[in-house]
Amino acid sequence: MSLQKGFMPKLIIDNIAVEVAEGVTVLEAAQSVGIHIPHFCWHPALGKAGACRVCAVKMVDGPVKGIQMSCMLPAQDGMVVSTTDQEAMAMRRQVIEWLMINHPHDCPVCDEGGECQLQDYTIAGGHGLRSYTGKKRTHINQYLGPHIEHEMNRCIQCYRCVRFYQEFAGGTDFGVMGSAGRIYYGRVEGGQLESPFSGNLVDICPTGVFTDKTARFRARYWDYDMAPSVCPHCSLGCNTVPAARYRELLKIVARRNDAVNGWFICDKGRFTNSVVNDPARPRYPLVDGRKVGWDEALDNLLLRIREFGAVHGPESLAIVGSSRLAMEAATLLYRLFAGIAAGSLCYFTLEEEADQARAAITHLNDATSASMGDVQEADLIALVDCDLLQDGPMMALAVRQAWRKGAKIFLVENDVAPEAQKGLPFEWQSVSLLSDIPIREARKPVIICGRGKGMQDVAPALTSGVKLAYLLGGPNAFGAALLSAGHGATTLAQAVASGKVKGILAVEVDIPPELLQGISFIAALDWRATAIVKAAHIVLPTTAWVEMDGTYINNEGRAQRFKKVMHPGLPIMGLDPAGHPPRRHETAPPGGEPRPAWQVVADIIERTGTERDVQPLSGQWQWLRHLDAESPGQRIWQNMKQVK
Amino acid sequence: MSVINDTKAIVIGMWTTWKHIFRRPVTLQYPEEKRIPYPRYRARIVLTRDPDGGERCVACYLCSAACPVDCISMQSAATEEGRRYALWFRINFSRCIFCGLCAEACPTMAIQMTPDFEICNRDIMNLVYEKEDLLIDGCGKSPEYNFYHHAGIGVTQRRGAGLEEKPPVDVRSLMP
Ligand code: SF4
Ligand code: SF4
Ligand code: SF4
Ligand code: SF4
Repeated sequence: MSLQKGFMPKLIIDNIAVEVAEGVTVLEAAQSVGIHIPHFCWHPALGKAGACRVCAVKMVDGPVKGIQMSCMLPAQDGMVVSTTDQEAMAMRRQVIEWLMINHPHDCPVCDEGGECQLQDYTIAGGHGLRSYTGKKRTHINQYLGPHIEHEMNRCIQCYRCVRFYQEFAGGTDFGVMGSAGRIYYGRVEGGQLESPFSGNLVDICPTGVFTDKTARFRARYWDYDMAPSVCPHCSLGCNTVPAARYRELLKIVARRNDAVNGWFICDKGRFTNSVVNDPARPRYPLVDGRKVGWDEALDNLLLRIREFGAVHGPESLAIVGSSRLAMEAATLLYRLFAGIAAGSLCYFTLEEEADQARAAITHLNDATSASMGDVQEADLIALVDCDLLQDGPMMALAVRQAWRKGAKIFLVENDVAPEAQKGLPFEWQSVSLLSDIPIREARKPVIICGRGKGMQDVAPALTSGVKLAYLLGGPNAFGAALLSAGHGATTLAQAVASGKVKGILAVEVDIPPELLQGISFIAALDWRATAIVKAAHIVLPTTAWVEMDGTYINNEGRAQRFKKVMHPGLPIMGLDPAGHPPRRHETAPPGGEPRPAWQVVADIIERTGTERDVQPLSGQWQWLRHLDAESPGQRIWQNMKQVK
Repeated sequence: MSVINDTKAIVIGMWTTWKHIFRRPVTLQYPEEKRIPYPRYRARIVLTRDPDGGERCVACYLCSAACPVDCISMQSAATEEGRRYALWFRINFSRCIFCGLCAEACPTMAIQMTPDFEICNRDIMNLVYEKEDLLIDGCGKSPEYNFYHHAGIGVTQRRGAGLEEKPPVDVRSLMP
């Protein structure tokens, strides 16, 4: 085998000629031409372990001969591989049968059933009846916290969990122990898993050892309502697939996007379902606490705005959006602002968040913006003012991958609060100033910047070749900053400080109580039961992100589309006191009034009479309409010549 | 010879006809007269109990997945002891075609077909059966089977005390 650079081994797999890069395994080479070789322990993000023995193939000719594990064997020139050879198939079949010797008779009561790799391969291999008559080994399970259920009897010893937990995610409280047939994957003592990425065990385990406890015994894979989605819980915009059933969000799993989150998501993104299912969510349009229909509520809103304008002048009304408002509604806010001639338009509430987002849109462009994929490839990373595990947990995982490959990590000590340094899954060197870091010596340096005073030092450090990532305040903070700059908007804090704001139209925004003093009129559009919704005179319920199509622009300027997963409405569970669904037919679900925020804003604009048939994403944002939710997303600079 | 063949065919045909004219009729005057179908006849569906009296159905959703007309729906849940069961279970008999695929799919012998075919009704809602209408007090056709005695999650017995199980291993043991 030649080791010269650029050498591409050529081999033949099932009569198909394949040419791959050096070092690629036979299993991956087969995948590259669409031949799927069964495997449990190999995983694209974790690599090989050679533990499960189920990827056996027959090497018919070439440098290696006979039955081989395709995940362990690097592709070499002249190999002739058969995946359908009788001997290889018999081997794979028998491996499955061995794996099932100790496997419990659990499928009907196992939450993995229907989405279980072991189940699929067992059926594919034709193993239906257990011919081994001995007894099965069993294990005692552990309590692993409120999110993850442990059922060790189902383990097939593939080592994926521990490779992810310890190697990939840097967790230290979970591992493998025991010997011989007693191998056990768990903690030394039962207790909550400490890693903020522990939820990925659910996705990564090919069997039902780890299942999502928050969705325990709720539904099967084939019954889920699912759609490609984007996580709204921080600015990184990790790709997800939420699964809902009977109008209840049951669980969220990771969706692969190599430029963003790779294969995984953090626990905050995975286990924050309760906000969607919250019984306190605003479900009906309310006027002074009274349930009304949409028409009445909107008419009333317009009337109140007019009355308010007559008393205080229309310029004392502020229209407030936020960094969690999707682009569709955010782009309409300016038209609403013009339509009712309000005094202030705000996309941010507090100065600090706005400053940071403004810095992001100023300093980032297609060349300087670092995606999480770029962070993983960096050889030097500087952390300025970030609380990674709070403001963008998956970024910490990306930094860890760079660190594992030998990248140097520097932490600007003065800027990072000591509590934010706890639990970071990598080692770093502390420096007191950003300028102390030898950035110029690195080939692929990345600066990751959070919120705070350290931000000012970043601009001077930006020499050519330095990439930059910001941890912003919300899933659409970047988009909000673009709009805010484009429309010359202020922050609510500023507008209130100027003393002229007397009324607020709050569109999916959380407003601290100190900004509400002296406000005589509040109308709120939201899907969360926030303090401002409770205080509002008029409440217009909107849909959560899983209940509509929408677009977020994440921290690196990447626009990503998310699709509607479920219908809004009260969950079926609990509608009828007898426990079963109501025995009365209705055409619309109860509590199904919420509408997407953009639609409500469009309705208000139409009622002001300034525009008709209001559609979101027009003008320079039109390209967002054609975003494909299944694609990796598009960076704004590829689509907008001049970003205003 | 076609004439001979034709004549023969007519004679045989008429012979069969005349023979049946003097036979006793097989038609039953339903509903005055009733006929008992065979035990394996596929009609009204029931949910059975295991020999210990527990609900057999574990709400695994296999019957609802197998049903070609989608007339079964349910919600699974867990009891205090961790037993998976159906919080509610509904079969819409106005839609059911009595194909028996649900009973075939059921891994716990819970859902079974019975020979009771007389379930006409004027109000369709009366044909939507809830769990309390479906659940019977016996084991039906598989009197001895108890799924939870075979399953590994240890609901009806201690962990590792199931029928095909060894007691739980000692992870800290170093024996070979
Ligand atoms: S892990 Fe898979 S094969 Fe094992 S009981 Fe669960 S669903 Fe069945
Ligand atoms: S617990 Fe799951 S991931 Fe871990 S070794 Fe067992 S089967 Fe593999
Ligand atoms: S890192 Fe942020 S976007 Fe990604 S899953 Fe976690 S909370 Fe969601
Ligand atoms: S297949 Fe059997 S155990 Fe599963 S839900 Fe249907 S009746 Fe219940």
